[in-house]
Amino acid sequence: MSQRNRLRFMGAVGVSLASAVLVAGCASGGGGTGQQLVIGASVSLTGDFSDSGKAVQRGYQLWADTVNATGGILGRKVQLDIVDDASSPTQVVTNYQNLINKDRVDLTFGPFSTLLTIPASQVAKRYGYAFLAPAGGGPKMFEQNLDNYFFVQPAPTIQSGDVFAAYVLSLPADQRPTTAAYAELDDPFSAPIAENIRQKLEAAGIRTVYKQVYPSETMDLSPVMGAVAAQHPDLLVGGTQNEDAYAQVKSLVQLKFSPKFLFQSNGANSPLEFPDKVGSANTEGIMAPADWFPGSTATGSADFTAAYVKRYGGSAQSVDDSSAEAYAVGQLISAVAAKTNKIDNPTIISALHSGSWPTLLGNLSWSANGAPHGEFNLVQWQKGKLLPVYPPSVAQASPEAPRPNWAG
Amino acid sequence: MHALIQGIILGVLTAGVYALMASGQTLIFGIMKIVNMAQGALVILGAYLSYQLFTSFGIDPFLAIPITTVIMFMVGVAVQLVFLRPLHSDDRSQLSVLVTFAVALLVEGVMSVIWSTSDRSINTSYANASWTVLGYQITLVRLWAFLLSLLALALLYLLLNRTRFGRAVRASVQNPESARLLGVESERVAAIGFGLGAATAAAAGSMYGLLYPFNSGSHYDLISRLLSIVVLGGLGSIGGAVTGALIISVSSAVVASTISPSWSQMTFFVVLLLVLLVRPRGLFGAAVRGAI
Repeated sequence: MSQRNRLRFMGAVGVSLASAVLVAGCASGGGGTGQQLVIGASVSLTGDFSDSGKAVQRGYQLWADTVNATGGILGRKVQLDIVDDASSPTQVVTNYQNLINKDRVDLTFGPFSTLLTIPASQVAKRYGYAFLAPAGGGPKMFEQNLDNYFFVQPAPTIQSGDVFAAYVLSLPADQRPTTAAYAELDDPFSAPIAENIRQKLEAAGIRTVYKQVYPSETMDLSPVMGAVAAQHPDLLVGGTQNEDAYAQVKSLVQLKFSPKFLFQSNGANSPLEFPDKVGSANTEGIMAPADWFPGSTATGSADFTAAYVKRYGGSAQSVDDSSAEAYAVGQLISAVAAKTNKIDNPTIISALHSGSWPTLLGNLSWSANGAPHGEFNLVQWQKGKLLPVYPPSVAQASPEAPRPNWAG
Repeated sequence: MHALIQGIILGVLTAGVYALMASGQTLIFGIMKIVNMAQGALVILGAYLSYQLFTSFGIDPFLAIPITTVIMFMVGVAVQLVFLRPLHSDDRSQLSVLVTFAVALLVEGVMSVIWSTSDRSINTSYANASWTVLGYQITLVRLWAFLLSLLALALLYLLLNRTRFGRAVRASVQNPESARLLGVESERVAAIGFGLGAATAAAAGSMYGLLYPFNSGSHYDLISRLLSIVVLGGLGSIGGAVTGALIISVSSAVVASTISPSWSQMTFFVVLLLVLLVRPRGLFGAAVRGAI
């Protein structure tokens, strides 16, 4: 290469590098100094958690669109940088490292499930990012004692059934169940919920006549429900996820055993899936925990519901809880910005650790380790609708107890 | 006592469906000496096809079986031609485990894309119906599934023992080289055999979809159970598959209802180990192997 060509080559490289730096700076929003507020999130768009992951994505996007329609956050338009983690705890770490170091996002939002949130929150902590997550309420999450972590639901997951125990114990003595059965999935988000309930009910004198934990690979729950039916308990608590919740109900219907009280920690709170799987008529009277429900009067709930239905179709009953929880994550960012007039990670972390913050899930506040202080609501299937029935402050209907026999 | 007898009833009725699934597995092994790790995925694919026919066209899952079995027969033949035939015969048995597992993952991926990963359930008007006999519940769907499985197994038995194709299959199993010298087209027999195995998966899948909620990943739990059944009964023996299904299904249902569901899953592995200690080829492996 001649001297002249070498100079021309070096000049071209220099111009290219300068241009690249300039373009990169613009694209990243300047790491917080540009016009856009770039928020990165790793979401399970494929793999085991993809249904819930997509619901989370819808919630994030709906919030971003809503704030952008009103001028953004402190005048900065929100731009979401969402990547797929394929439901993998390894990929989620890579994703957040890329979002923070390569894409230089201003803020991060959490993924779906405790399995992914634990490693993801550690990455966020390393780089001083606030980490608000719509899912990730398992005990191991809070054992990390991360001060940058905020679980955006009313209470840690294993306490979600406490509201059912509170409801049962609120009943007059002559209406209370006297015997109870507990059929629990061997899963960190299922069995502990039922166990919490059992301890409270046993302490109040409700006798346990059956308690078994079944492995997650149990396909046929008929023998388990047969053993429950043989004991004729007044109350059955299912520490469930989705598939086994459906199987429990189907088996009970087939065995013609209908407990007076039936609570399931998961599965029964799915407004679309549950009636589809067990038959709409068989849902009557079944109870479940919920943090959000259609018709909620909590902050922004009506706007969220209207925007969701307008954007994604369906009805208020078809809105996935995970979308509401993801939307609440965004609501908290808006609230911090409105209150402090700043939007950066240290401000978010310090602000959320003090006071109570209104969201469509209710007012939220957290312990130092990110565990929320509130409690879930109790919802019950009544005439094909999932309605909040306890505590009375949020109830839209009176609890139906005892529940009727199966429709068949 | 009530829970015990109810458990036995449930176990016996469920055994028919497992026997049907496992018969396809054991048939494929008998003909080709292939351990088909994709059988569980094919059962779930059969359940999805049945679900789709029911939700889109209102076709009852039992009536859909002739349709799904034909579709799955063709899928099975295609899998054999594309993925298994190219394997060198010396390595086929070992490599087939990997190849069929890859097929299972491929089928799972396709099902995830088409039907997503949500749980599905086939809810017919009679899905939860049951008869009360002497205080015990006989679930209608399980009873029909049991009877239909017996019918399907009987047809399979007749096909293998009363038809020209069946003779070709048995000849291939007993002595592949001699069968080839006598004009049996072993590759064609293998393709049809794999297709038949997939067809039994389709029939079983329709019933599985009626009994349990399922998703694209449900085959992982299924395949370990199917392998246990065919190994217990003796690889290559349809009678063994029926017996194995009965033992495993009844024992796990009884243990789940009377002792603990946690032990239920382990029960059939314990039974399997005990049987294999006494009869390493399974219950019917030595006597029936080579004759299906």
